[in-house]
Amino acid sequence: MDARVQDAGIRGEIDIAGVNKVFGQGAAAFHALTDIDLTIATGEFFTLLGPSGCGKTTLLRVIAGFEQPTSGSLRINGAEVAGLGPNRRPVNTVFQSYALFPHMTVAQNIGFGLKMLGKSKREVEATTADMLRLVQMEALAERRPAEISGGQQQRVALARALAPRPRVLLLDEPLSALDLKLRKEMQGELKRLQAETGITFVFVTHDQEEALTMSDRVAVMSAGRILQMGAPTEIYNAPVNRFVADFIGETNFLVLPVASVNGATATLTLPGGKPATARLPDGMRPATGADVTAVIRPEQAAITGPEEAELTATVDGAVFFGTDTHLQLTLTDGQPFVLRRQNRPDQPPPATGEKLGLSLAPGALRVLED
Amino acid sequence: MVAPVDPADPAGAAADAPPDVARPGGWAAHRWKWLLCAPALTVLILAASGPLLIVVVYSFLTPGTLGGVTWEFSTDAWFRVFFRRDIFDPDVVTWNTSHLAIFWRSISLSLQTTLLCAILGFPTAWFIATRPPHTRTIWLFLITIPFWTNLLIRTFAIQEMIRNNGTINTLLQGLGLIDGPIQMMFTDFAVLVGMAYVFLPLMVLPLYAAMDKMDFRLVEAGYDLYASRLMVLWHVILPQVKPGFIAGSILVFIPAIGAYVTPRVLGGGRTMMLGNLIALQFGQGRNWPLGAALAMLMLIVVVGALIFYLRTVGRNDGERRV
Repeated sequence: MDARVQDAGIRGEIDIAGVNKVFGQGAAAFHALTDIDLTIATGEFFTLLGPSGCGKTTLLRVIAGFEQPTSGSLRINGAEVAGLGPNRRPVNTVFQSYALFPHMTVAQNIGFGLKMLGKSKREVEATTADMLRLVQMEALAERRPAEISGGQQQRVALARALAPRPRVLLLDEPLSALDLKLRKEMQGELKRLQAETGITFVFVTHDQEEALTMSDRVAVMSAGRILQMGAPTEIYNAPVNRFVADFIGETNFLVLPVASVNGATATLTLPGGKPATARLPDGMRPATGADVTAVIRPEQAAITGPEEAELTATVDGAVFFGTDTHLQLTLTDGQPFVLRRQNRPDQPPPATGEKLGLSLAPGALRVLED
Repeated sequence: MVAPVDPADPAGAAADAPPDVARPGGWAAHRWKWLLCAPALTVLILAASGPLLIVVVYSFLTPGTLGGVTWEFSTDAWFRVFFRRDIFDPDVVTWNTSHLAIFWRSISLSLQTTLLCAILGFPTAWFIATRPPHTRTIWLFLITIPFWTNLLIRTFAIQEMIRNNGTINTLLQGLGLIDGPIQMMFTDFAVLVGMAYVFLPLMVLPLYAAMDKMDFRLVEAGYDLYASRLMVLWHVILPQVKPGFIAGSILVFIPAIGAYVTPRVLGGGRTMMLGNLIALQFGQGRNWPLGAALAMLMLIVVVGALIFYLRTVGRNDGERRV
């Protein structure tokens, strides 16, 4: 291949263009991936987020080489890899089930990739020792996978995938089998490892909190398509559609009539008649008087006195979450509304049936395309 | 630990009560529980050890003139298993080379059969294990179909294939590939083919069972870590299916070493195996003690081989415990 042509195409570590994956044929065909376009930068912590069955794992398997795309192009470090097997791609995977070789010791597992690459015995041993140190597993090097805990197996799986120093590390829901405390610990550990090695991480998860806390960028997927791609704050604060808004965090959906449209914003009429300004999605110009769906996060509203209240709501119940309390409210027109309030000893939760005044944070209300 | 027992719930109370063993006299009750399997034990002892004991006793008796035994102690049978006396000078003792040749052929052919079954059985079992789950039952069913036909008939069918004017030779001659028929009947090759055919399912089934339990994600992990197909087979798949190979080898080797029908039909009188030699002693040979001694020898060889095999191959298969 002509080097210049190849170089001209380099945009990132992974370039995916127009990738489709169809399982089966004819009437039974299942479109697992539809028109995926994606560029992942070198050294990025990129997360594919979505509910189960959304295609995120299929996309990861296409990058790894376990599945070949039905159509489209896939470049890793500028070189086309579509058609190459997983053993010929500079990519390693941390499997959801870890898939450690049960008949090998921890050290043999970690050294396997290097051995297969034909590295010298001394080099394999030296790198294995480095990796054992990196994941703090030196003491258990001679154990077999069945003899170590789930969290330790996780570390070994990571070390095994990192040992050949791949350009890209793929992680398929690697933390889903761990308990909450260990998961939090491993999240920090993963970030540390990525910073130390500088390797591009592609992380698959269905846990939106995990995606938001760890990633540089997140791609939200549903039904084989990428719905939105961007930094966690962008995804959380400016969801492009109802699915993303609903999937990421908790959201209140309010159906409100439009009072007026002024450029990129619209004035909506809240239940009770007060006006509120809401951001419009690009290119959307709803008619005055039409009903639109607007979203607001539960923590972006606050309880206020009756004089500055924009909304009035009745308390239906309160759910205690430790750091905060979720108040389940009903607005004057009957729409439900969840308010999240940080717990403070001087603010006991309001009683059921109590009427509250609410104010919305400026810029918090956004209109969604339906 | 101590949950309050609801007096209105006697069933719950019974479930919460400490087990039998902690009660006074509980151990005694336990001690005699094995008697429940006494009927099974009786059958096992009578049916397995009884006949074996008779064989041992017979091997130390004197042959009767018309078969059977006369109750007179003799180690002559065991002597004749390995040695023979010169007809003219009973003091000249030489190795019984015809017996040794048969022992060697039996062991060698059984090992070859085991190996051939493993080589043919692995891809077969792999094929079945990688089919969609609902079709696997059908493939396994097809594997067992030969068992439905009598062994003797199947062996004669093989004879029909490989005899001098049988299917294979006729076909090859018709195609002009060979001038005269290839002699396949009454050779070790014929016996090998016959035994491999008969015992193949006994290798395929345990191999399939091992592959069915195998975690195929490990294969992906192998590929992901830059292993070629051959390396994945060697480093990932074979260690996983080793228990299946061990079970299959035992299941093939043991009946192969005692095979009677296949060497009798396909080997003729020329390539006799241990089973035929033993049968001969109880038939035309009219030397029951010798037959019994040979049978005991076979038992010793098989058990010895089994122990050796499990000690060497069964070791280091990842079952190490802390």
